[in-house]
Amino acid sequence: MPHPFRFPFGPLLRRMFVAAAASLALGAPAHAKPDPNAAPQDFVRQVADQALAVLKQDPALKSGNIARINQVVDEYILPYVDFEKTTRLAAGRYWRQASEKQRTDLAQAFRGTLIRTYSGALTRTDQSTAVKLQPFRGDPSASDVVVRSQISQSNSTPVNVDYRLEKTPEGWKIYDLNVEGIWLIENYRGQFAQQISQNGIDGLIQALNQRNQ
Amino acid sequence: MKNAFSTRLAPALATAALLAGCAQTPTHPDPRDPWEGFNRGVYQFNDKVDRAVLKPVAKAYTYVTPAPVRDCVHNIFSNVGDLWAAANSMLQGRGHDFVNTVGRFLFNTTMGVGGCFDVASANGARKIPNDFGTTLGVWGIGQGPYLVLPILGASTVRDGVGLLGDWNGNQLATVGRIDNVPLRNSLWGVEAVDYRASLLDATDTVDRVALDPYSFVRDAYLQRRAAMVLGRKAGDTDHLPNYEDEDDEGAPPAAPATPAPAVPGTGQQ
Repeated sequence: MPHPFRFPFGPLLRRMFVAAAASLALGAPAHAKPDPNAAPQDFVRQVADQALAVLKQDPALKSGNIARINQVVDEYILPYVDFEKTTRLAAGRYWRQASEKQRTDLAQAFRGTLIRTYSGALTRTDQSTAVKLQPFRGDPSASDVVVRSQISQSNSTPVNVDYRLEKTPEGWKIYDLNVEGIWLIENYRGQFAQQISQNGIDGLIQALNQRNQ
Repeated sequence: MKNAFSTRLAPALATAALLAGCAQTPTHPDPRDPWEGFNRGVYQFNDKVDRAVLKPVAKAYTYVTPAPVRDCVHNIFSNVGDLWAAANSMLQGRGHDFVNTVGRFLFNTTMGVGGCFDVASANGARKIPNDFGTTLGVWGIGQGPYLVLPILGASTVRDGVGLLGDWNGNQLATVGRIDNVPLRNSLWGVEAVDYRASLLDATDTVDRVALDPYSFVRDAYLQRRAAMVLGRKAGDTDHLPNYEDEDDEGAPPAAPATPAPAVPGTGQQ
């Protein structure tokens, strides 16, 4: 603390107060844990805002640190994603042929790819990045809904990102993602089928694990 | 992409790609991609050219130009392109999109200093991408087989024809009208580099997440094009992918559709 009589402590204090208030305001969304039992669009907004707030506060972000973004996605988005369901739907009819262990292993192996896919949408995040939710058009009482959003950045074209959610006993869970018209699960079905028909389910697990290294 | 380029080089490229393609046999045929062997050949060729030339040039461009300049260049080309996009919206009978895109063009050209700033997007008037391939699709013409074009990449037979329309309607009607040949060609060069640079994030993501980049790009392209032809309807619930149907056919009672209780526990290690 500078000596009160020699320094213009009034402005200094004010500046410190403003800085503290600003950091509180920035930090606040990170502390508000998303509520899976809220309305689906509120839930998605909470998840997105929390992840963005964490990323914006992180100095590693400016260097475009992919590993760090992956970490944030793993910690702040993946808990709200039903990646087991994503994997099951991507495997399609082959899921029935898989043993219990293969199912578990496949979901674990695909998890890394999912993290990298979700973080792909966040690599350009900067201080101007904002998520805007589109008006909810589905049936609010349905158990399978789509929430639409736009991720915008200053002076560049916003990206349309939709989330598909399912109501589970623990509340809403995201299980599919659409970026500019492209659904994630739909886009992995062909690749999964191709790998499985070539090298079997274990071959697919192996190929996914190789990508995780 | 360029006039001289397409007449002199493209046949040579196509031949090279064709030769490369003959060695391949698809392992999991997709009915939308009957020419997979050929396409994979062209894809590999494009990938080599991209990694050797196009991507390094785009990266160097991104490295030496400050982001505001890059955004400005990108926005100017995008703004000029809005005119042709608007024309296509009109051809498709999407009057709402037409009015919005013309409004965007006028607003960005004036308030956005010749399109340098995308002030329309900043004010909520998002760009509505459109092209002649989509117009043909809206008119009811099927996409035809998937087709990888040399250098230009993912396409279909219909969209390949659409590209010819885009070339005439967009490039030849705008930059192509410039009489000064070196200037015109330089602008096309910058546009090509800007285009590749704008895709750097996307292609890096594909490199990180794709199991088989060829299928990944193909499936993404076909999904995206189908969504564009559907337009606003693409987001309706009846156009959502229905994964469960196929999942449940065959043996309904044998495999429960609900997640096995053992699995969530494993996710927490």
